[in-house]
Amino acid sequence: MFGIFKRKKSAKIAKDRLTIAIMSDRGNGDSYPFIEDMKQEILDVVKKYIEVKNIRIEKEVDADIEALSIDIELDIK
Amino acid sequence: MGLVIAIISGKGGVGKTTASANLALGIAQNGIKCVAVDFDIGQRNLDMILGLENRVVYDMVQVMDKEATLKQALIKSKVSDNLYFLAASQTKDKTALESSKVKELIDELKSEFEYIILDAPAGIESGYEHTIEFADSAIVVVNPEVSSIRDADRAIGILDSKSQKVKDGEEVDKYLIINRINPKMVQSGEMLNSEDILDILNIKLIGKIPEDKGVIDASNQGKPIILDKNSKAAQAYKRVASRMCGEKVDLEDIESQKDGLFSKISGIFK
Repeated sequence: MFGIFKRKKSAKIAKDRLTIAIMSDRGNGDSYPFIEDMKQEILDVVKKYIEVKNIRIEKEVDADIEALSIDIELDIK
Repeated sequence: MGLVIAIISGKGGVGKTTASANLALGIAQNGIKCVAVDFDIGQRNLDMILGLENRVVYDMVQVMDKEATLKQALIKSKVSDNLYFLAASQTKDKTALESSKVKELIDELKSEFEYIILDAPAGIESGYEHTIEFADSAIVVVNPEVSSIRDADRAIGILDSKSQKVKDGEEVDKYLIINRINPKMVQSGEMLNSEDILDILNIKLIGKIPEDKGVIDASNQGKPIILDKNSKAAQAYKRVASRMCGEKVDLEDIESQKDGLFSKISGIFK
């Protein structure tokens, strides 16, 4: 019964859904607007421990599974 | 030379024809000679909203096909000497339009009128591309609701690729009208607010129209709501029309407005 107090406002849900749907319509369906920021943040964390050459993030969709695959290429000299 | 403004939307039923009628009349009331053209071939709704359905003799397809002159087909508004109307064809289908004929008609209108308002078919229908082809600018009408906004984005995409101005390397000016805003629902987070919608669609806002029961009453009578001095939607349309005429009118924050006794009482406790 406390569910109603925690419920996310539907306008916020609408905005999130629209952002993704419109991006997919515009032909960038395998990406997110935040992807570059996320890349940088992951890089910053990994770089604290090991040298990194490159990072790739791709969205993979297979039937009912959606996943982000993150490839981090290490910089070995 | 007149300015051609297409009133467009993604899906149907968002209030595009109502907006066309009220903006055309609002522009005319500002003393500017204006024509409203119903480009929604086969549907013919603008004549009803303007209350001119009994005066239609010739339609725009007949003018394009030289079966009638523009002068014969133009209908003068009953409420403003500056407003004229050109009806859509009801018998022909939407494939009746040809680019060269559309251009010829629009060029003729541009030499007669200062503002040419085109009421477009919904963006997902055929005939839409012809309406936007020769437009100088477009006003996109959306409701604060997911399907309307998503389809509007597609209609804007078609505008950006198919308009003659874009093909000539220029830009089509695009403006947004958010129609049927329910301030209470926006305040409670149950309806998208205008900032959210602008974030998603990324175009300039030209007006916010509140939900207004008077709009249906007005269409029942064939008297555009802008004639009703007490209506909030009318005031909003007047402001948009003034902006379209180049006046600087600040956007009113209708979303945080309160009205009625209940909100006045609940306001005390805030």
